[in-house]
Parts: sequence; structure tokens; C-alpha cells
Amino acid sequence: EQDLVKEFVALSTRDRIRAIRDLPMSFEEKKHIRLLSQFFRRCGYSIRSARQTLELWQGIMKEIGGKFGTSVLSYFVFLKWLLMFNIFSFLVNFGFITIPLLVYDPLPNIPPNVSFRGLEILTGAGYFNHTVMYYGGYSNETLVGLVEYNMQLAYFFTIAVYMVLCGLALIFSMARSFKTNYVLAESTSNGAWQLLCSWDFSITNERAVRQRKSNLRVQLKESLSEKAQMELLTLSEKLKHFGVHLGSWLLSTGLAVGCGASIYYLCQYEQQEAETLLVPFVVSLMNLVVPLFYSLFYKFEHYSSQRTQIYALVVRNVLLRMSILGVLCFYWMNVVAKKFSCWESRVGQALYRLVIVDFLFLMLGSFFGEFLSNVIGTRLLPRLGVPEFDIARNVLELIYAQTLAWIGIYFSPLLPAIQIVKFFILFYLKKVSLTQNCQPPRRTGRAAQMHTTFIALLFFPFFVGALSMVAYTSWSLTPSEQCGPFRGLNNTFSVVGVWIDDLEEIPGSQWVVWIYQHVIRSELFYFLITLIILVIMYIFWQVTQGRKDLIGLLRQQIVNVSV
Amino acid sequence: MGNKQTIFTAQQLDAYQISCHSILKLYIFLTFPRLFYRYRDLAPQLVPLDYTNHPDVKLPYELIGSMPELKDNPFRQRIAEVFSEDGEGNMTLDDFLDMFSVLSEMAPRDLKAYYAFKIYDFNNDDFICKSDLEKTLNKLTRNELTEDEVRMVCEKVIDEADLDNDGRLSLEDFQHMIVRAPDFLSTFHIRI
Repeated sequence: EQDLVKEFVALSTRDRIRAIRDLPMSFEEKKHIRLLSQFFRRCGYSIRSARQTLELWQGIMKEIGGKFGTSVLSYFVFLKWLLMFNIFSFLVNFGFITIPLLVYDPLPNIPPNVSFRGLEILTGAGYFNHTVMYYGGYSNETLVGLVEYNMQLAYFFTIAVYMVLCGLALIFSMARSFKTNYVLAESTSNGAWQLLCSWDFSITNERAVRQRKSNLRVQLKESLSEKAQMELLTLSEKLKHFGVHLGSWLLSTGLAVGCGASIYYLCQYEQQEAETLLVPFVVSLMNLVVPLFYSLFYKFEHYSSQRTQIYALVVRNVLLRMSILGVLCFYWMNVVAKKFSCWESRVGQALYRLVIVDFLFLMLGSFFGEFLSNVIGTRLLPRLGVPEFDIARNVLELIYAQTLAWIGIYFSPLLPAIQIVKFFILFYLKKVSLTQNCQPPRRTGRAAQMHTTFIALLFFPFFVGALSMVAYTSWSLTPSEQCGPFRGLNNTFSVVGVWIDDLEEIPGSQWVVWIYQHVIRSELFYFLITLIILVIMYIFWQVTQGRKDLIGLLRQQIVNVSV
Repeated sequence: MGNKQTIFTAQQLDAYQISCHSILKLYIFLTFPRLFYRYRDLAPQLVPLDYTNHPDVKLPYELIGSMPELKDNPFRQRIAEVFSEDGEGNMTLDDFLDMFSVLSEMAPRDLKAYYAFKIYDFNNDDFICKSDLEKTLNKLTRNELTEDEVRMVCEKVIDEADLDNDGRLSLEDFQHMIVRAPDFLSTFHIRI
């Protein structure tokens, strides 16, 4: 009977009633089954709508999806996801590092000649330097209140656990996204069969529906004419295309490297108060202007598909941001760490400024990027038309902003608070800018795969980069001697060694010491782990290859059987 | 093909059911009302607040189709027809719940594919044939393609998606097509 109920739940009411009527059972039993399956169906729905009710900004999301479709909505989903990430990291850092310190010592010990002047909100220096905002504001003592609370250990383990959790969350969402969106997905995107699965049911706005209909018409006409136009390129044309590609790649890479180098020289002139804003200002300006320059390239380049073009643009922008961030990190690790007495706080301040100035530029960016091009498109050059929302550019901006917060987590544990405010305002700003200035995208499709690519990008160069920067800092650099929780230690990681030494005296904890000495500190362990992971990866890769072959065979078989 | 119970394997149904049993008791009182009130707000004078005696209430298609979620959807009439018990778009509360649960983001791919197939199958013969495709095309492009173009597009769709070469699309063909289009899961979705 249970199986029956299960089966009926998935059918629609009409089918269900028909199916139940046909069952060889008494009336009572039938009624019982009918009620049960109705009940389960309703429950299933209730749970799903409960999840929706609890979600933040549900109404706004619905409105955006209704007017602009699923692909633009994916930007806002991503933004919300990052916001949740930051709320979590703020709670962890605030709860385990800041609250214990504030309970123990509620007033920040600020020198009498320092006062709050207002400029600090932009520069992050001065008054903030003596508060719990930065690494330097934390003590290295064991706080003795109701229980003993070792600040050094708390600081180290909070950051470490947070980074590990972030990594795991990213890997899992990336894997899930890959599984649903890439397995079996077709590589050619503009077949006519998409007619039946490309209509976006979430669109509820009349204008958007009309526009989408005419876009679909254009797309279908293109797909009809495509076969006719499949002309072959001559060798000279091929060479010309290749030359243009090579030239634009060289130019964009050169530009990225040049930007990095100029930032490095600019950093040498570290200065007082307001002048410190120069570096973040130039960095953000480059991030705003150079991508616009890159997007001019596509006027000269010819890509076979629009997707390749977007990916090329994304890769160039990633290179630019990576080179700028890489140079900044190099400067902090090698110059700032040796020059200043409380260098962690200096780095924290630099990151704070980057985050704030980046926020200002994001606001400017949506002004110039969307508002101005709307004005130009509608008033001055009607040929250009109302702009579309550039999802790739906007998502990259988000990823960059999040990377800053990850790098800063060690130097300024409360940076996620700033990030939360930033993303929160950004959500409304982008929503207004989108609804006022933009039109729904002309091309549809591929939204799901783009989303996967963005999470993969967030993970691979950016999170891994930030993680290795933080790991390098805590393993190899000497913490400053005047301030911060790790003063007097050779490196941050040795806090674990000190703790293990203490543990040795406590009976019953010998196993922890043994694990530390024979597992954590032995190279052999890491060597074996790496080896095992590589072997497992190889096996899985082989299995995947086998399955791919099998899928190909089965597809062939379907065709053969039906002929 | 005719037997609808074989469309879902036992495993798929299991996957669909898992969410049901676990947290059910906690949420059922919280959220069922929301959709019920959406339904009731369409015609407060027709729908009673008290449903204990299973009153036989149906809202006519005109009311269902005027919901903001559906009113601009080119397939609104088909959606209402497919999910309604009488096949004419007049919906009971049960039908209404069915509709929005299949169109929610949590419904599994096969369930969505099954109902999408029914929506596109205008003449209810369990196959998407050329006349169905033509109707879809006219709904989606505002009749702006020439007859020749319509015919070519329909032929192309069938050519590309028809695996068993019978000149029309069966549910299996359609499901196979859906698997290749990852965006389908997020676009066959109405937020309520």
C-alpha cells in the first residue's frame, strides 16, 4: 500500500483519481489511499513554500526574475549567497574572537592624543587602529573570567576553521552545480530544439514577455540561416583572425602586468593619512577602466560563439585582478612586514581602504556603466539602444570584493561586518539601477552554466590565492613584537606547539600530543595523504571516462534500435 | 506509453518523497495557509475558510489565468488545462497546489519534464507532433514568422530531437532533450 501511495503522490489529481478508480480494491481502501496521497502531496508543497517564506528578499527576487529572466536573477542569487557567507563569517569571528575580549576588557585602550575625526571611516587608520577592528587590537593573554580563554589559540583556530569551512562550502556548491549543469549538457547551444525548453516561465512582466518573444524570433531565424552560412574561411582570413587574437591577448596580458608593476612602484610612496587613499584609488580606477578597454577588443576580434567571447573577456579580467592583488600581497609580505613595528595592522588598514574605495567605485561603476550608457543610448546615440545588464562584469566585481575580505580576515577580523553592509547596500543599488536603466538580455540560455563557472572562478584563483596568502603569513612570517595576539612568537603556527607543550603536563591528553608529533608534524603523513588523494582522483577520473564512453554507446544504441 | 504509472521509476518517486516525511510536522501548519489564501483571495465569496468537509469548490479559468504570476504567460491556458481535474482550466484547491508545487524550484527534473511535455502537447495525444509545435511557435513568436519559416523550424526541432524517427516527439524524446538543457530546471519555475 505504501508503494501505491508513493506512486500516486507524483501524479496529478486527474491521473490520480483515474488510477485509484482502476485499482482492484474495496471502496474503503481506495478512499484511504486517496486521502494519504493527497496528504503527502500537500506536505511536500508546504515544506517547499516554507523554505521560500524564510528566504530573504523573496519579493524582490520574484520581481527581478519576472522582469529580466533567470539569467539576470542569477547575479542577485550569487550576491545573496555571498552576503550569507559574510554574515556567517562575521558571526564566527565576532563570537569567538571579539566578544571574549570585549567581555574581559570592554574599553579600547586608546592613547589620549588620538580622537575620532571622521576621516578614519575612509582611511581606516588613526582611531580605528587602537580598536578591535585590526589584529593589533587583540591581546595575547589568557583571559581569566569564569573560564580561562586563551586568546592566541582562539584567534588561530577561529581563522583556520573559518578558512577550512569556506573551502568546503565552495567545493560542495561547486560540485553540486557541476553535477546538475555540466553532466550531459550539450555543447552546441543554438539548435532549434531549444525552442521547447528555453521559455522562461518565471517572466511575469508584459513588456519583458513581448521583448523575449521578439528575441526568440530573431534567434530562430538565425538558427535557420546558420546552415546556409557555414562558409569556410580561407587561409589568409584564418591567419588574420589568429593574428588579431594573439595581438589582443598580448596587449591585455601586457596591460595586466603593467598595472601590477605600476601599483608596486606607487606603493613605495606610503604616506600619511589622506595620501594613503592614493593606492586603493588607483587600484579601483584600474579595475573600472581597464575592463572597459578590454570590452572594446571584441569589435576587432571574431569569435565563433558568443560564449567563447564571454569566457575570453572573463579570463582577461581575472588576469588583471590577479596581477594587481598578487603585487599588493607581495608588497605586504616582503616590504611592509619588515618595515613597520605593527605591520599586521598596517596591512589590515590597507585592506580596509581597498574594501571601502572599491565600494565607492562599485557605486560609481553602476552609475557610469548603467545610468550613463542608458542616457547615451536613449538620448545621444539611439543606435546603441538601452544597455543590457552585464552579468559577467558585475559578478567579477563581486568576486574581487569577496577576495579582499578573505585576504583581510587574518589582519582585520571584523572586515566581514563592512562587507555585509557593502553587499546589503549593493543589492538595493543594483536592483534600482537594473530596473531604471537596463533592458532584459537579448540572448537567452546558458545561465546555469555561467553560474557554475562563477563559483569555480571564486574558488579557484581567488579563494585558493587568499588561502595561500593567509597560510604563508601564519607559517613563515614573524608576527610583530609590539602588538597583536602572537607577539613574541617565531611564527603564528608555533602557538599550537606551545599549547601542545602545555598539554603534555595534563594527564589523559597524551594522545593529542602523540597525534601532533607523529601526524601533524611529519612530512611522511602529508606525503602519504597526497599520494592517496592522487590515486583516488586517478581512479575517479578513469571511472568518469568509462561512463562517458558508455553514454556515447547508449546514445548510439537508441538511434540504432529505432531505425 | 499509455500507462502513466510507469513513467516514474520507484527510485525517482523515493527521491521526490524524502523531503516529505522528515520535517513535515513542523512546517505544515506554518506554510500551507499561504498558498491557500492566495487561492482564496482569487474569489473570497466562493471559497470557504473551512475545508474540513471537503467542499466541492472550483475556480473558473478566468480567475486562475488572471493571477499576476500567469496573466502574461503565453502558456497560461495550457498550464491551467493540464493541471485542472476537468481539463478545462477550472481548478480545485488540490489542482492549485499541484500546479505550484510542480512549478516550484524543488520539484525534480522528471516531474517537471513530464508536465512540460503535457503543456506542449496541445492535442493530448501523448506525443508532440508538428501541429503542437506550430501552436507553440505561434504562441512564442507572436505569429511573426512566415509559414515557410514555421514549417522549417518545426521540421528542424523534430529532426534534432526525435530519436526513434517516428516523426513526432514522445515523452522519452522530450526527457532526453531536457537533460541536455540545464537551464530548463530554473526556467520552468514560477515564483509565488
